[in-house]
Amino acid sequence: MRSLEPLTWILITCLRSSSRVSYNMAARVLQQCVRSLARPSLGLFPVNLALRAAVAPAVTVHRPFSFAADSRRMRWLGQSRISSVELLCRQYGDLPPLTLETIKDRVMYVLKLYDKINPEKIQATSHFMKDLGLDSLDQVEIIMAMEDEFGFEIPDAEAEKLMTPEEIIQYIADKKDVYE
Amino acid sequence: MASTAATRTAAGAAKVVKPVFSRDLDEAKRRVRELYRAWYREVPNTVALFQLDITTRQGRDKVREMFDKNKHVTDPRVIDMLVIKGKMELQETIHIWKQKTHVMRYFQETEEPRATDFLSKFYKGHDP
Repeated sequence: MRSLEPLTWILITCLRSSSRVSYNMAARVLQQCVRSLARPSLGLFPVNLALRAAVAPAVTVHRPFSFAADSRRMRWLGQSRISSVELLCRQYGDLPPLTLETIKDRVMYVLKLYDKINPEKIQATSHFMKDLGLDSLDQVEIIMAMEDEFGFEIPDAEAEKLMTPEEIIQYIADKKDVYE
Repeated sequence: MASTAATRTAAGAAKVVKPVFSRDLDEAKRRVRELYRAWYREVPNTVALFQLDITTRQGRDKVREMFDKNKHVTDPRVIDMLVIKGKMELQETIHIWKQKTHVMRYFQETEEPRATDFLSKFYKGHDP
């Protein structure tokens, strides 16, 4: 059995066995073999078929993350040859990545919805207390709306300093590691 | 309390007194903001749990009104005492130790409006 190509050996192992332990082992061996694909190797055509077939039984829920990371890493290393590896990459539900533009749009949208602010007058640099005539409790409400929008807590010590939409955008970009 | 106030004004400078919680006005204001946040977030849960006949916006306006009533206070100790009382009310509301009537008492008018037309004055007694 060992004389066969390693991938076909794994395929046979997977199809044969039904226990979780051998799935894990098979998945791990499959990872190593797929990793070795990144280096220039010979005879990829039979490997492609084997890989595609091995997707269904081998890639179980147990090791999704490392597997996806490996296949993504390999995509950088060799594009043209490893087209079939991209089939193994899992797509996870997540929000689109934040950019300064999207943060600014969302912040301004939330501010325009606030009933104590005139939507025409609000700009990125307008001060809440001096330009818009809001109270400190209004500013607390605005910061709470931002917390609800972006889904993370803003402690009061730092929240009391955010007095313009521009500062809010900078703070959120700071906390979420968004830079251009 | 009166003697302390008297000595303070007599000395001409601010006398250092033992603080309740916060040492200066900024810390006291921070406590007020934290309490306001907690109340703001609690209002929708209160309206749902007690099955009140008000909207969330009305509840939040009432919270703002209660906070604005004490806007003029500048003494940190008084602010701390008010914050402590607000926290007690919040605790009673969260744990449903109050009942619907206690919560609706915030919305009740405490003073009767003065009668303006003749008939209302007549009914109240001779008070033209």
